[in-house]
Amino acid sequence: MKKKIFPKVIRIILLSMFFIFAIFPLYWIILTSLKPTQEIYSFPIKYWTNNPTLYGYKRLFEFVNFKRYFVNSIFVSLGASFVSTIFAMLSGYILSRKEFKWNYPIILFLFFSQMIPTYLIMVPQYTMFSNLNLINKLISLVIIYSGFGAAFSTIMAKGFFDRIPKSIEEAALIDGCNEIQSLFKITIPLMLPGLSAILSFSFVNNWNELFTAVMFLNTSDKYTVPVGLYSIVSKAGVQWNVLAAGIVIALLPTIIVFAISQKYIIAGLTQGSLKD
Amino acid sequence: MKRRKFIFFLLLPTLLLISFIILYPTVSGVMLSFKNYSLYNFQNIEWVGFENFKAIFSDPFYINTIWNTLEWVLFSVFFQLILGFILALLMKEPFKGRGIYAGLVFYPWAISGFAIGLIWSWLLNGQFGVINDILIKIGIIEENISFLSDPSLAMFSVILVNVWYGIPFFAIMILAALQSVPDSLYDAAEIDGAGYFTKLFNITIPYIKPTLINTILLRTIWIMNFPDIIYGMTRGGPAGSTEILAVKIINTVFYESDYSKAAAHGVVIISILFIYTIMYLKLTSKREFSL
Repeated sequence: MKKKIFPKVIRIILLSMFFIFAIFPLYWIILTSLKPTQEIYSFPIKYWTNNPTLYGYKRLFEFVNFKRYFVNSIFVSLGASFVSTIFAMLSGYILSRKEFKWNYPIILFLFFSQMIPTYLIMVPQYTMFSNLNLINKLISLVIIYSGFGAAFSTIMAKGFFDRIPKSIEEAALIDGCNEIQSLFKITIPLMLPGLSAILSFSFVNNWNELFTAVMFLNTSDKYTVPVGLYSIVSKAGVQWNVLAAGIVIALLPTIIVFAISQKYIIAGLTQGSLKD
Repeated sequence: MKRRKFIFFLLLPTLLLISFIILYPTVSGVMLSFKNYSLYNFQNIEWVGFENFKAIFSDPFYINTIWNTLEWVLFSVFFQLILGFILALLMKEPFKGRGIYAGLVFYPWAISGFAIGLIWSWLLNGQFGVINDILIKIGIIEENISFLSDPSLAMFSVILVNVWYGIPFFAIMILAALQSVPDSLYDAAEIDGAGYFTKLFNITIPYIKPTLINTILLRTIWIMNFPDIIYGMTRGGPAGSTEILAVKIINTVFYESDYSKAAAHGVVIISILFIYTIMYLKLTSKREFSL
């Protein structure tokens, strides 16, 4: 487009407004986590602190066992993301490459599974897992999150595979590879950016899941980070600098993952809709 | 390997897992809504027909909850879409530091809904909240507003926060779609002397329509099922003014421990979403379920 969409000044103003709107809450929560207790409720409100302290973080790790929650969350989120991404890679490949009778119904099924409220199925899932003796175990969350992730990730994976030209595989088949070899040697390496997008997207979702985890985990040594935050809030008289510190720690992994994989995620999410 | 076997083996793990984790529990969840399973009755669970549904619909407050849900979904999706669209248009043209800008402006999307609720309940706090302080300083208001404890303002506040959270998702989707509009279309329009808004409504929007349709549908479904932010901010209060169906289910499970009634609420949500999706797809005559 040769003509500018917005005059430059208006553009800069609008971009700055979006920026401030997005970033200010983050600034405020980091500032709160570093403020000494007496400054948090002080008036007039302080927009900067000259006496930053790690008191909030100390409390968090000494009294709330946040380190444990963090390790649990890493285990659950990474585990589930890897499982669902591998599953999605295989099924997304088939749905993208093969025309068969069940192709469309399966995509429809995956799409409609997005519609089911987690909260409708939480109780039946609980019953199922308690029959299997898997309550209060992190592995149950790995299995459940993998299931939720697999549906969405398959749709995303299909989009990525659609972008890789079929001719590359056909050439490999002519060279004497069988279908499985060509999938693992040719197609999947080409898919790596896509897979990392899918992986990080699942990771963000899994890291943030709260209510199933609240339902399934009942001793604090099993808590994930969101459940830990939830339990801090439930306790009366929580201090805002401690809670803010917890929120900052909870944000770190997803923000890092998101920063690294942002451009892949953007490409991944929009694949299908680009072609019509 | 035989073609059919190949297809079967690669699809099987995903389909089994989803059947086990989503499909089967959904079916038993729907069945549960016709039983009487609660914390006070887990011995003699039996069919009670439509009792749970009768109970929830005879609650005079229920219509209010449904109204809240519609308000929450409608306003959230609308403002996320409009603001996300504007942000995407602004970001389409390259500028210095666009990558970093994108990372910072899009990050709300990576935060947990519950944490977002907590952060904003602190920002909007009626006594110590910084938003009040800023609004007073720039002269928009004269005294502190109780954003979250005033029933007439609480819904506005949670929607504001949900919009904050959802702008990036729309912006990301629309931005990527905008990159795909061929420049030649604009060039041709420019020769014809088309202005900015003519191009926007006659070229850009029609071209990215599939993205808009899919994104709106998916977001509507997700937002309808998304209690996290409200839970972090108000838990449905004050006086039920922010209680949407998804929050109602959580409260029914965690506080009333009436699992069948919670399931009945879930069935109400699915029914609404089904009707909505079918109507939506009819209206947009779109049959492509991909992202």
